[in-house]
Amino acid sequence: MKYILMMSGTQTSVSGYQTWLQNDRDTHMQALGAVVKGLVETGEFVAAQPLAEPKEAKVVRGEKNGLPVTDGIFPESKEFLLGFWIVDVATPERACAIAAQISAAPGPGGIPTNMPIEVRQFLESRTSPK
Amino acid sequence: MKYILMMNTMRAGAGVPTWPQADLQAHIAFMRGLNRDLKESGELVSAEGLSFPDQAHLVRAGKDGAPATDGVFPESKEFLAGFWIVDVDTPERAYAIAAGVSAAPGPGGKPLNMPIEVRPVMSAPPPEML
Repeated sequence: MKYILMMSGTQTSVSGYQTWLQNDRDTHMQALGAVVKGLVETGEFVAAQPLAEPKEAKVVRGEKNGLPVTDGIFPESKEFLLGFWIVDVATPERACAIAAQISAAPGPGGIPTNMPIEVRQFLESRTSPK
Repeated sequence: MKYILMMNTMRAGAGVPTWPQADLQAHIAFMRGLNRDLKESGELVSAEGLSFPDQAHLVRAGKDGAPATDGVFPESKEFLAGFWIVDVDTPERAYAIAAGVSAAPGPGGKPLNMPIEVRPVMSAPPPEML
């Protein structure tokens, strides 16, 4: 069963991360890298993808003529997807355990961020076009 | 350049739409056609639908690193309903595809004109994440 693990945050939290000491950021990324390495080894890894900063986000709607209308103005409190992991696991519990590993990645001073990770299963009826 | 197109829903009204069967079928046929076109043009990287928000979990690492799961979300939270990752030549092309998704027919065949969030994804995960 496939799950997506989503890390979200506001533009403010992204700007906060950018003020971390380089050493803390390196340690954080290394911990996340180790999670992915572990998933590759167990064969549970499907994909992982960081997204560009929220300030580069646009919202698009189709208008009457079908042409795109774009808008890039969001409320301060809007949560944006910062990055995601797609895993193929045997149980929901395993998906949650991997999310906990991601959540435990160290932040400033090596203290775990304990950031919330949203865990969602893919619809079983849909198959990914390959 | 790769973009992710995200379709979000509020929790209220999330779930299988209570539309007439014919409208639902037209909606699904539209989405399938759109995916087929993107596959033919070589722009489709992946497309997935997610299970409904009532099955979403929020996971944090507890003190001992064990997952602490929670399924309580603020009323205002937007949930990801599904996403497309496309590989296109220009941002404008990503917006045009998003407008196509936005124009998917709803009840009575009227375009939904739902907002689609468009975000650049980093071309490759940082090496330390691999």
